[in-house]
Amino acid sequence: MEYILKNGIVYDPTNNVTGEKKDVMIKDGKIVGNVSSDAKVLDVTDKLVMAAGVDVHAHIAGPKLCVGRLYRPEDERRGVVAKTDITRAETGFSIPSCSATGYRYSRMGYGTVTEAAVPPLEAKHTHEEIMSIPNIDVTPLLLFGNNWFVLQYVKEGNLEDLAAFVAAWLKIAKCYGMKVVNPCGSEAWGWGMNVHGVDDPAPYWDVTGRDVVRALTQVNEMLGLPHSMHVHPNDLGHPGNYQTTIDTMDAVKDIEKNPSVIRNQTLHCTHLQFHSYGGTSWRDANSGAEPVADYINKNKHVTCDIGQITLDETTTMTADAPMEYDLYKLSGLKWANKDIELETAAGLIPIIYSPKAPVNSLQWAIGLELFLMINDPWQVVLTTDSPNAGPFIRYPRIISWLMSSDRRTEMLEGEVHKWASKRTALPTLDRVYDWNEIATVTRSAPAKILGLEDRGHLGVGANADVAVYDLEPENFDATKAANAAVIEDVLGRALYTIKDGDVVVKDGKISKVVKSRHLWSNVQGFEEQEKKVLENIMPMFNRYYTVKFENYKVHDHYIDPSIEFKIDASK
Amino acid sequence: MKTITLTLKKFSSIALEFDELKPDDIYTWSKKDFEKYQVPVGNTRFPLSNYFDIEVEGEAEGPEDVKMILDGDMGRVKYIGCGMTAGEIIVNGDADLHVGAEMEGGSIKINGNAESYVGREMRGGNIEVMGDVKEYCGTSYIGEWRGMSGGVIKVHGNAGKQLADCMSGGEIYVDGSCDILAGIHMTKGYIEIGGDVTRWPGGQMKNGNIVIKGKLSSLLEGFNPDGIIENPDIDGKQLTGKYIKYIGDIGVNGKGTLWLNAEKNRDLL
Repeated sequence: MEYILKNGIVYDPTNNVTGEKKDVMIKDGKIVGNVSSDAKVLDVTDKLVMAAGVDVHAHIAGPKLCVGRLYRPEDERRGVVAKTDITRAETGFSIPSCSATGYRYSRMGYGTVTEAAVPPLEAKHTHEEIMSIPNIDVTPLLLFGNNWFVLQYVKEGNLEDLAAFVAAWLKIAKCYGMKVVNPCGSEAWGWGMNVHGVDDPAPYWDVTGRDVVRALTQVNEMLGLPHSMHVHPNDLGHPGNYQTTIDTMDAVKDIEKNPSVIRNQTLHCTHLQFHSYGGTSWRDANSGAEPVADYINKNKHVTCDIGQITLDETTTMTADAPMEYDLYKLSGLKWANKDIELETAAGLIPIIYSPKAPVNSLQWAIGLELFLMINDPWQVVLTTDSPNAGPFIRYPRIISWLMSSDRRTEMLEGEVHKWASKRTALPTLDRVYDWNEIATVTRSAPAKILGLEDRGHLGVGANADVAVYDLEPENFDATKAANAAVIEDVLGRALYTIKDGDVVVKDGKISKVVKSRHLWSNVQGFEEQEKKVLENIMPMFNRYYTVKFENYKVHDHYIDPSIEFKIDASK
Repeated sequence: MKTITLTLKKFSSIALEFDELKPDDIYTWSKKDFEKYQVPVGNTRFPLSNYFDIEVEGEAEGPEDVKMILDGDMGRVKYIGCGMTAGEIIVNGDADLHVGAEMEGGSIKINGNAESYVGREMRGGNIEVMGDVKEYCGTSYIGEWRGMSGGVIKVHGNAGKQLADCMSGGEIYVDGSCDILAGIHMTKGYIEIGGDVTRWPGGQMKNGNIVIKGKLSSLLEGFNPDGIIENPDIDGKQLTGKYIKYIGDIGVNGKGTLWLNAEKNRDLL
């Protein structure tokens, strides 16, 4: 099938196309330079055209989601939509049903989403859920930061075997990259403790967050994985944690990037908003965004996503189990905890981010400060750490805040608690994002950060993942506060979303359902070491795991269809 | 005033759902509109006129001018008056689940028994049930920690389990007896039970008042006695007789009050 999207206003930061009126041509699922006269013409004259969105960090599939749905039936009642001839029924607001997750991303014009925390033991389950999510490709990241084998190798300083272990486990779990959550903290939670700062060792293992992040980052670069180390630093959500965040970023500064990768960073620091707090307690808490942003402005080895608070009632779910327990103690609502054997632990609670609450307003303002203080949009990605800071369906609303300082002033003056003005620098920031920057932080930058060359842009040869919105950027003033609602509405229902050359959304409605692909990294060149490592760890595996190794692996039929990234680790 | 009378002519064993037929949405409807209307039945819809004879008299300016009369056994009609904000509904017979759930105003009278979830998450208005209600009357819904926050429910018969779970406002009166865990998780509001209570009223209650005029079989350990009070005045409601006052549930640092009729509960004196 061939398409030609005619006369749209195209924003494609990767290829330096900034609001040019041009045609986008599609053939056999790819962007091409020419199409035949048989191509179907989609007239998008003067409409906003971008590559489909890429999400670098969200929680959309896996055991936490399932626990969340079981544990929060009251959330499932929100967002109920009846089935249509094409779609299944939708349920849920912060933890939507699997199919609703796919439809909602698709309707916003997104094409690729990262599932940011897959415990290896639950990888099978995660892939099963991804099979039920339509219309988006998924890059699952595998959790390593509190894994007993990893802690053992780090303790021994045995990077060779650690690299082989990571290579083997990415194959076993069929995941795309590495994720670390509160390194050593979730392991300490097994003893009912947490760690504080990057130099606080986990009980028994006697290794620190710094050791783990450094070792895994070195391994990541040894293997040349497409994505960098993806870190959720220690001390999430604690006043004064900005220093821990800077320490974490600085810990890997000297590590050389593998020359074969397209990304610029060696460390991706996720949901930075939760890690940029000043003060010593919630009484005197203030913004720590400035020093964090300053560090990122001066250091190109780091990228981040924000985890912007959207001021909704949502669900927090993370592999940072001790932090969830702290939150539960604060909120007094309900709490679920999940222990993942030798690998990690997770927690989950409902949370209400209220614009009337001082702390929540402060968090909201800190997220926006980071967006506005980090100068290079290629180092920032728009996320809500969905559903932790808010559900992903709020991305259009966040875009409306970024594009209009008038709208932000309106909110600071009348809608949020005064802590947002008094304890942050947000009122002094009048920077606004233009469409090119929006395209960068929602498409181009995340694709590059993930190391994906085939998406996030509209150059010839890229996947035909395209979003068209019912908005004429040349005749629209996004800086006007009154237009914020229009931006939110229009970006929430794409005129067209095209996924690999299929029109999956038309006029804001799902027009076609396609299977999501599982993206995974297959490291080549470590086969011998992997074999040796597996032999070595098998006694411990057999002793402590509740499953047999034969049932632990994710078999091929769990990842159909998939995209395999063959990585030559010898490079 | 517009009077809408629906008289049951065919009983469906699969439940009909009436949440679209609240006064707010139908005050402009003529008889023809009702005859055109397809009512949800299980996973499909059938014409309302398959099940009811429909009479419409008079005109309404708004939902407050509507009086709906449902004649016959509505034991398989769910969501009667669900979410209504004004108007009046009278059921001459039994009613199925969720009568007056999420109701904000107006009144409902059931001249019969009602199933579970009467007045669930109710915010205002009045519900009167002449017979019994089953479980979860005036509660929250599954998983939800925010329950009934306003309005009044009067039950002339008996109430089932977990009456007023997570209640945060409003009043509930039960003339008959009540099963376990009345007022569990309650944070505010007033519950008055005329008859006997099996066990554990006020489990994990943080605040609010529960009055039991009959005999309580089993009190929770989390309640501390706080004296005997004659003719107590509770939130402006004057009770007659001696009452044993308890404060709890101390398990959750609760400051709720449980009042037990001293005469009927002499074993606790």
